[in-house]
Amino acid sequence: MLDQLRQTCRRLLEEGTVRVVIGYGQDAAGKPAYPIFVTRPEAVDRLVWNDQCFANLTTYLTRKEIRALGKPAIVVKGCDERTLVVLEKESQIERGDVHVIGIACSGVGDPRLPKCEACDVHMPRFADEVIGQVPDEPVGPDSRYADLQALLQKSPAERMAYWSKEFARCIRCYACRQVCPLCYCERCIVDKNRPTCIDTSATLKGNFSWNITRAFHLAARCVGCDECTRACPAGIDLRLLNLSLAKSAEENYEFRAGMDREAEPVLGSYALQDNEDFIR
Amino acid sequence: MNQIISQEALLAQINEWITRGARVIGPTRIKPDLIHYATLDSPEEILLDGFLRPANSIKDFLFPRHEKLCTYRFKGKQIELDDVELSDTEQLIIGARPCDAAALPILDHIFNWDYKDHYFNHRRQTTTIVTVACKAHDEHCFCTSVGLGPDAPGGSDVVLIELDDGGFEVRCVTEKGKALFADKTTPSDKSGTVPPGPEKKIDPKTIEDFVKNNFESPFWQEHTPRCLGCGICSYTCPTCHCFDIVDEGNAAGGVRVRNWDACQCTMFTAHASGHNPRTKQPQRQRQRVSHKFHIYPQKFGQILCTGCGNCARNCPVGLGVLSVLKAIGHAAEGDTSEAAHAEHL
Amino acid sequence: MNEQDQFEPKIIAYVCNWCTYLGADLAGTNRLQYPPNVRIVRLPCTGRIDFNLIIKAFEMRADAVLVSGCHPGDCHYTAGNYHARRRWMLFRSLLDILGIDMERIHFTWISAAEGRKWQQVVTEIVDKTRQLGPYEDYRNVCEALVC
Repeated sequence: MLDQLRQTCRRLLEEGTVRVVIGYGQDAAGKPAYPIFVTRPEAVDRLVWNDQCFANLTTYLTRKEIRALGKPAIVVKGCDERTLVVLEKESQIERGDVHVIGIACSGVGDPRLPKCEACDVHMPRFADEVIGQVPDEPVGPDSRYADLQALLQKSPAERMAYWSKEFARCIRCYACRQVCPLCYCERCIVDKNRPTCIDTSATLKGNFSWNITRAFHLAARCVGCDECTRACPAGIDLRLLNLSLAKSAEENYEFRAGMDREAEPVLGSYALQDNEDFIR
Repeated sequence: MNQIISQEALLAQINEWITRGARVIGPTRIKPDLIHYATLDSPEEILLDGFLRPANSIKDFLFPRHEKLCTYRFKGKQIELDDVELSDTEQLIIGARPCDAAALPILDHIFNWDYKDHYFNHRRQTTTIVTVACKAHDEHCFCTSVGLGPDAPGGSDVVLIELDDGGFEVRCVTEKGKALFADKTTPSDKSGTVPPGPEKKIDPKTIEDFVKNNFESPFWQEHTPRCLGCGICSYTCPTCHCFDIVDEGNAAGGVRVRNWDACQCTMFTAHASGHNPRTKQPQRQRQRVSHKFHIYPQKFGQILCTGCGNCARNCPVGLGVLSVLKAIGHAAEGDTSEAAHAEHL
Repeated sequence: MNEQDQFEPKIIAYVCNWCTYLGADLAGTNRLQYPPNVRIVRLPCTGRIDFNLIIKAFEMRADAVLVSGCHPGDCHYTAGNYHARRRWMLFRSLLDILGIDMERIHFTWISAAEGRKWQQVVTEIVDKTRQLGPYEDYRNVCEALVC
């Protein structure tokens, strides 16, 4: 599989189909893999593929410095590929401007990350090149949102206590935002002043406000790559916030971000008969 | 003749400190794979060995991520200012690492060279640092490359070196340290052994020269494209100290605060005019290395880095400062072989 | 003399200009009595209501929030309330998982002709919030010292 990946990338670079391959590199086996940007065909041997390839590389497709390198080929796992669908729907990338190398993935991390336990996109679905083969297992909503159960069983006061304890550690490094491929706003609302909408201070008030805002700005857009959770230096389980919104989107609007290239984004559309049980 | 303390006695002492109302801070497990320096409610929470170093630094308790500077009220056309009362609570940091403690003399200088920052100074005075010497290091550690080592005493009031039986040899470095451990230790022939630190990985002089002479070099674009521009490296770094001052309030009044800021953030150098001299990530990465290894040493004679490795361990894309420094080392030698390009495109 | 003053809740109401605001105005012109605890914030349309405003209301020590606009099909801007409806559905799930007291957030459709509905809704919300008491949880969040 690794040979096939490297040869594919060598071919793409030599033929001039792409100017850069965005893939994973690694210093030594067992260490976390990290993003690399290969522009020379000889350097494709630096590319690796293994269960340490955590990063969602699509985050680089909306960065000026990377766009300046020219047409990219990008290595994506199934979860990352979902991001491409959302980016395309939101007109941030032109599908034809990206050469997608979809890689079959049976899960990353040792032990496997929680997101991999409920994954139903082990195989790429919209790629230009497919590397590898892994059986796809259908997964139902119960498994998908199982990790919310622990929180849902708590009372509202207990949930508030839980999040107060978690957000007390938030240092507002914005790694969650920077690592997220769908946080591509040139100027984030938290950086806005005159007037300030969200306190920049890392107080509990500011941290609640920031994390609520970011979670909601990703409502029905987040594909669940969980990079935000992995990146967080304070160990906050941000994925639970995103999961709760994804669950609501699936239950109420039968929508899962990045699964269907034709589906209209939930908050960008409406139906006359949308549920309004909670509205008096 | 050395002074030693058993682990039980040390934990009992921690309990006494907590009971007497001191804020005791030490490494503690936050999540299964996350250890932080945090305020302890009981001595059972402290971790004294079995891990490398916490993912944050002790600067959190001397230069907190958010701090009130003063409060203000509008009275007609007048503004009334009120000072913020600084806490006199004793702070005892137990189990710091030498690379954390060594940052304190650097921060002391930064917060006093052109303005006496009484917020920092007050916390510094009320804080005692008890360091535990390192027994291990990983590939991200490079304290020995910046003049430090596993039992370097700089910045510490006391250095503890673990004995085979889990107790500690107690080396009091300052009067404050002596006072904290007075009559708490027993004399002994035992002494703790400190394994050698990491081998030297970089040469600061080479770095300084390279950075000085390669401002416009494509090196930065080639070696740091994966940087995402979050603030993790700066915020978990023991020596980084940039901050932003903001007012939070409404038409009646508010509070002036300072919050951590990071040179890796896009808006860090945004001017009021709208111009931003550092719009691209490689420029910001260049700035970080330059500040730490060229500008600060040139101005104050000290390297603004203690080789703790937090930046690399915490970085979501595994960048940190060491990999860039190593690449500089190769580039400075004119080494363009494939092996030398180990960390970039 | 009462030993302590009865707690009077503060309710923030985000209402749309074309329906609910006029409905509230109608309540006024018809002299329909309703408790004075509600502070009305007028916006052009419910579609303009940023969810951040609801959080801001709680940060500003509100004890309950009411969000109200035109009935579906009656929006002055055609579809603003349809988008708002979806937004509110998702936002409620987020607020729920955070442990925010869902009994303190209310959504209604009140048209320009429904002055009486405005009176009823506000009266009920104020009564209910008075029973629930001040929203201590969020106040504690806002005042917490964490470092």
